[in-house]
Amino acid sequence: MIEIRGLQKAFGAVGVLRGIDLDIADGEVVALIGRSGCGKTTLLRCINFLETYEAGEIRLDGQPLWYRTGADGVRRRMGDAEARRMRQQMGIVFQQYNLFPHMTVLDNVVLGPRFSQGVSALEAEALGRRLLARVGLEGKMSAYPAQLSGGQQQRVAIARALAMRPKVLLLDEITSALDPELVGEVEDVIRSLLSDRIMLVLVTHAVGFAREIAHRIAYIADGAIAELGKPAEVLDRPKDPGLKEFLRRVRS
Amino acid sequence: MPAGSLQLLAQGAIVSLLLAASAIVGGTLLAIVLAVMAFSRLAAVRAGYRVYVYVVRGTPLLVLALLLFYALPALDLRTGPYIAGTLVLIIYTAALFAEVFRGGVLAIPRPQWESARSLGLPPLAMFRKVVAPLVTRYTLPPYVNVCVMTVKASSVLSIISVWELTLAAREIIERTFAVFTVLGLAAAFYFVMCFGIDRLGRRLERHLALRGFAGERA
Amino acid sequence: MGFARWAAIYGPTYATGLAWTAATALAAAGGAIAWGCVLLLIRLSAGRWGALGVDGYVQLFRNTPVLLPIYLIYFAFPMIGLPWPAVVCGALALILQNGAYISEILRGSVNAIDRVQFDAARSLGLAPWNTFRKIVLPQVLVYSIPALGNQTVLLLKDTSLLSAISITELTMQAKLLTEQTGAAYEAFIVVALLYLLLVSGTEVVFRASHRAVRWR
Repeated sequence: MIEIRGLQKAFGAVGVLRGIDLDIADGEVVALIGRSGCGKTTLLRCINFLETYEAGEIRLDGQPLWYRTGADGVRRRMGDAEARRMRQQMGIVFQQYNLFPHMTVLDNVVLGPRFSQGVSALEAEALGRRLLARVGLEGKMSAYPAQLSGGQQQRVAIARALAMRPKVLLLDEITSALDPELVGEVEDVIRSLLSDRIMLVLVTHAVGFAREIAHRIAYIADGAIAELGKPAEVLDRPKDPGLKEFLRRVRS
Repeated sequence: MPAGSLQLLAQGAIVSLLLAASAIVGGTLLAIVLAVMAFSRLAAVRAGYRVYVYVVRGTPLLVLALLLFYALPALDLRTGPYIAGTLVLIIYTAALFAEVFRGGVLAIPRPQWESARSLGLPPLAMFRKVVAPLVTRYTLPPYVNVCVMTVKASSVLSIISVWELTLAAREIIERTFAVFTVLGLAAAFYFVMCFGIDRLGRRLERHLALRGFAGERA
Repeated sequence: MGFARWAAIYGPTYATGLAWTAATALAAAGGAIAWGCVLLLIRLSAGRWGALGVDGYVQLFRNTPVLLPIYLIYFAFPMIGLPWPAVVCGALALILQNGAYISEILRGSVNAIDRVQFDAARSLGLAPWNTFRKIVLPQVLVYSIPALGNQTVLLLKDTSLLSAISITELTMQAKLLTEQTGAAYEAFIVVALLYLLLVSGTEVVFRASHRAVRWR
């Protein structure tokens, strides 16, 4: 499980996250929604330390991540090697330009296992094929990203993230940059992941999809969680006035 | 290193600078002619431009210099190394400048051409008031680059016995064997000249930018 | 005289020159690209001082003519106990000079790589060395192919300067022939044509390589 306590982040003088508290249980799917600039993507990026944060704690299965407070009370960043090991427990898929364009689809997927986890070439390739078959792209193993559609590229990106066998998958608006007709195939892959009971944190504009797959939805405004609850509660019976306005706009 | 060496090097540097300067002036004039050829309506003239640039840019400067150096006396033109050297440098830099001008003209956005043409100016006024200023602003950085290249290219002329900084340095080395000091000083002279030209160019760019031209610097 | 006879008499001389020019250019180009990659690595990974050091190196070689390093290595190395053959000295000078330009070319191409890829590499837990080796370098080299082609042509032409330290490449052969036969300019014209051939050949190779990259 993931425990986030008092997360604070500022870009220079501008505070972006003002104290986030959030727990994610094993196998839980949490969707983060909110207006542009509310901090939802920053929160996601802090979870796997693609952004630093000034205060707060993130724990994975009880183990504190990214910063450590020494016996002298001073908070220090973890070393690069340690941080890299921790990152392997999380997978992330970005909005676009995920894949390495100069490598084939299969090479993209096996890169992480082979070079970060020391998996042998044979094993990694077998793993890669399985995952690509799972996302429906086994036939495109030797293709290059430029030859795939946006939806196909995102599915490969998901396979690449899963190849690391992460405990949690972070999805940053992965369908926002896709043509509408390609969104469905990516959402299908995410649906298929629910049976794996892997923790999912997704930042999304697709409120309908969030309602369908999320166990809980968090509405983020001004760097804090303004409302948190089951989809039916948050989306049909919103209490926060900002959330009401947001949903009104999204639905119109 | 014997006393007079520093002075010799300084004199050599001045000669290099003068050679480069003459080549830049002559080369720019020739390049304007070439650039006009490049945009001629006659295919043969344009082809002539392309052949000139292809040959001059594809042959090492040294080979061109040696060719002229040996060929001119054979044609009964005993002009000495300086004239031959300056001539070849002019021919060489003209090709480079012409490509800079051509590129600069092509970089001017079409709407600017079209508004200029719609003013219906006579050709000379068009050139003076519209084409030249526009081309200058789009070609200044690469032009300054070629000027720096010309200063460096002048060192090649040392091989055809044009006495300038590099030849001065080589002569001193062959007499005194003070390789590091002499070449270090020669390098310093070149560095000051080239870096200086580059800085002047940037100053000029900024000056022009202040006059209302929002130019982009690559 | 007929072409056949001319070729029989002078062919071997030109061929020797051609071979020396091509071999030296090839070796120096390979070395310069490798050295340029090393400079890029230093710039990217050695912090402020690394970047400043590489900047200083590049500025030095950009603002001085290539004859100076050629003379420096040729005259100085025997004096400091490294009596290397002239061609090695010359090639080394060409490598040091062109490596500076190439590192700038490569550095420009780094910006063409989308930032997201660095995030993706980090999130896969790739160590910096692996990120450089498998993600940055392959893409940077491919994006730089046209500019590297230009630089190689410049290097090829610079090999003519090695005639100043008595290396028997094309230009030297032309000088020798001119002095031997007294024909003022024929040799240089032939040699100019041969250089044009080499230059065009190089350009063709680089354009073909650029087209051959399938993943763009």
